[in-house]
Amino acid sequence: MRIFDPHIHMTSRTTDDYESMYAAGVRALVEPAFWLGQPRTHVGSFLDYFDALLGWERFRASQFGIRHHSTIALNPKEANDARCREVMGHLPRYLAKDGVVAVGETGYDSMTPEEDDVLRQHLALAIEFALPALVHTPHRDKVTGTRRTLDVVAESGLPFGMVLVDHLNETCVDMVAEAGAWMGFSIYPDTKMDEHRVVAIMQRLGLDRIIVNSAADWGRSDPLKTAKTGYAMLEAGFTEDDVDRVLWRNPVEFYGQSGRLDLTPVPGFEPAQQGPDTFEGNSVLRGMASRREA
Amino acid sequence: MTTDAWVLGYGTNGFADHTLDDALDVIQGCGYRAVALTLGHPHLDPFADDWRTRTEELAADLRARGLRVVVETGTRYLLDPWHKHRPTLVDRDAEPRMAFLARAIEIAAVLDADCVSLWSGVVPDDDVDDDTAWTLLVERLAALVPIAEERGVTLSIEPEPGMLVETVSDALRLRDEVGAPASVGITVDLGHCVAVEPEGVVGALRQAGKLLRNVQVDDMKPGVHEHLELGTGDLDLVAAIETLREIGYTGVAAVELPRHSHDAPRLAGASIAAWDAAARAAMPARHPWTVEAVASVTADPTRAPRLFAEAGRAVGRDPLSPDDPHGYAGTTDDAARAALVEALHAGGADPSVVRALYEYGDNAERRGVLRGFDALADADLTPAWRETGLDLARDALRTNDPALVASAMGAFTARHLDDHGWRHGVLKLVFMGVPLSIVRGLDERRDAELAAMASRYAEERRAAGRSIPDDIRLIDTVPQE
Repeated sequence: MRIFDPHIHMTSRTTDDYESMYAAGVRALVEPAFWLGQPRTHVGSFLDYFDALLGWERFRASQFGIRHHSTIALNPKEANDARCREVMGHLPRYLAKDGVVAVGETGYDSMTPEEDDVLRQHLALAIEFALPALVHTPHRDKVTGTRRTLDVVAESGLPFGMVLVDHLNETCVDMVAEAGAWMGFSIYPDTKMDEHRVVAIMQRLGLDRIIVNSAADWGRSDPLKTAKTGYAMLEAGFTEDDVDRVLWRNPVEFYGQSGRLDLTPVPGFEPAQQGPDTFEGNSVLRGMASRREA
Repeated sequence: MTTDAWVLGYGTNGFADHTLDDALDVIQGCGYRAVALTLGHPHLDPFADDWRTRTEELAADLRARGLRVVVETGTRYLLDPWHKHRPTLVDRDAEPRMAFLARAIEIAAVLDADCVSLWSGVVPDDDVDDDTAWTLLVERLAALVPIAEERGVTLSIEPEPGMLVETVSDALRLRDEVGAPASVGITVDLGHCVAVEPEGVVGALRQAGKLLRNVQVDDMKPGVHEHLELGTGDLDLVAAIETLREIGYTGVAAVELPRHSHDAPRLAGASIAAWDAAARAAMPARHPWTVEAVASVTADPTRAPRLFAEAGRAVGRDPLSPDDPHGYAGTTDDAARAALVEALHAGGADPSVVRALYEYGDNAERRGVLRGFDALADADLTPAWRETGLDLARDALRTNDPALVASAMGAFTARHLDDHGWRHGVLKLVFMGVPLSIVRGLDERRDAELAAMASRYAEERRAAGRSIPDDIRLIDTVPQE
């Protein structure tokens, strides 16, 4: 099972998670810029966070054989803090960078006028940088928020095919399906969706534009929920090919619209891709077993 | 001079009318950094009573001069005054040749030479057929291998036109038949390739690939085994140099003109000039995107940030060498970004522009800035440019991304970074598992303090029962003054 987790906050996760994810089949992921729990109070903390997403976290993932991409945006909650909104002026610099595969996650928290404004700015940036947009739906009054999100997207001019509306559930998925946007489901241990409910939605709506993610972060969450959804699909009678479509080909198709996905295996992880054990006569294994012999 | 990974040298058999001391003076004076030492008259008699003392003195002299050395064994009439090169490894009686090669191995060990280069010999017409000769050759090479391994010496088989081992294919087959030991490599004479190699010089060098331990440099005409001055035969020297880069050759490439001793000083000067001109001509062509981006940045430096961010998507991110899967020695996008930094410098940009590219860059962009400073290592930098380069290198050396740290240990830091910072950079690469072969200026800058740091690190690994990186040996001894 090969897995592309299209939404996970690895900054909050441990190396054990990376190891388990690789073992479960995760080979690539997208880490959307997110709220850190503790509110940020100035632009500098955003910039260091974005730099870490593009630098340190990408390197850290590669050490575990996983290709890391990110999406960049001001989080909806912080759109309401004038001190944080200043970061909008810095976003163009980041949206030009390698590994940034969408604008996001943007969207609504409390549906304030400030959030409206920032969402529109994000969608305009997506058009300017020819990037898809990852738009999340609010935790409270989700149906209203989803409807409003779709209206703002329609006004923005960004095609629905370039938009992933995330954290959907049974109450709001149909309007997203009808609009033609991508449907994201965050599978969580005890909030949001679970793997059996999402399988039921797949049985009802089919697999077109369906995307499943773990959205694992600093809260109670599970970075293996993508794999668990794959197993739930198999138990429900879906084929291996169906699982591959939902867990790999669909997210690759969506984020691939950025032209910036790197899905080549990380050197040294896949035996067929492993380079020589020596480089100019020096061992590069440094005490590790050669995978060539495995 | 070029900044390629190999070291250019000159063969002493092209200086038969000079004493060895004088020959080394001229070779060194021309800018060569290695010597191919032909054992025998007139320079170093391997069978003289005082051979060991003389060899030890020579070793000290070569170290003092900073000259690398390979040992060549092609002296004429050394073993038989009546017959050139006889006996060889394919004669029925090869005792004198075997004794000579065993001595050559001992000498190579004392000199810490890259290798002992040897060849098969022409099959004698009289009493040995090709099959018998091959059997004799395999047996004798097999007998030399343990002697060489005991002394830590590499043997390098040189195909010669007209000999039993005539092409690289023959040499590889011979190597395989003695069990493909790591201690046996291949010598390629570029001129010979013109004369006899079916796939030419490019094919022959590629075929030798990672087994290439020694290169001889000369020109030649197809089918004629006569060593010619560079530029007077049919050798495509640019293609040869491109191929040496492609296969990542890091050994000695020594000019081999044994019939030109009467004109040696002029030829030594002309040969290094011809080589350097070809090396410049062989610079990898810039990607069309890079050419356009350089022009764009030259016209308007404010375009640099956007182009810097796009470089990886535009030119790819492959390692420049296929044997360096992590790209520690540089990647295609590194090269593109370095060209932009060079263009900014050439256009008179303020170094703060480059500092911003680094500070606002992701790790790949930061590598590109550091590689750009490497490209400027030998340039006449203003203090502000130099300090900017040092600030950014120090910043990179604080990170934990091996590729970033590796790119901070290039030509710029080798030239400009303080000793303390540079030593810690080297040790950090060991710690991170990055091969030390990517460090520029390692031989020139390593010192007693670095050796002591490396020894303490090795001791710590040993105490923990952990493996010790092979290439720590490159720094854990004190270099001889």
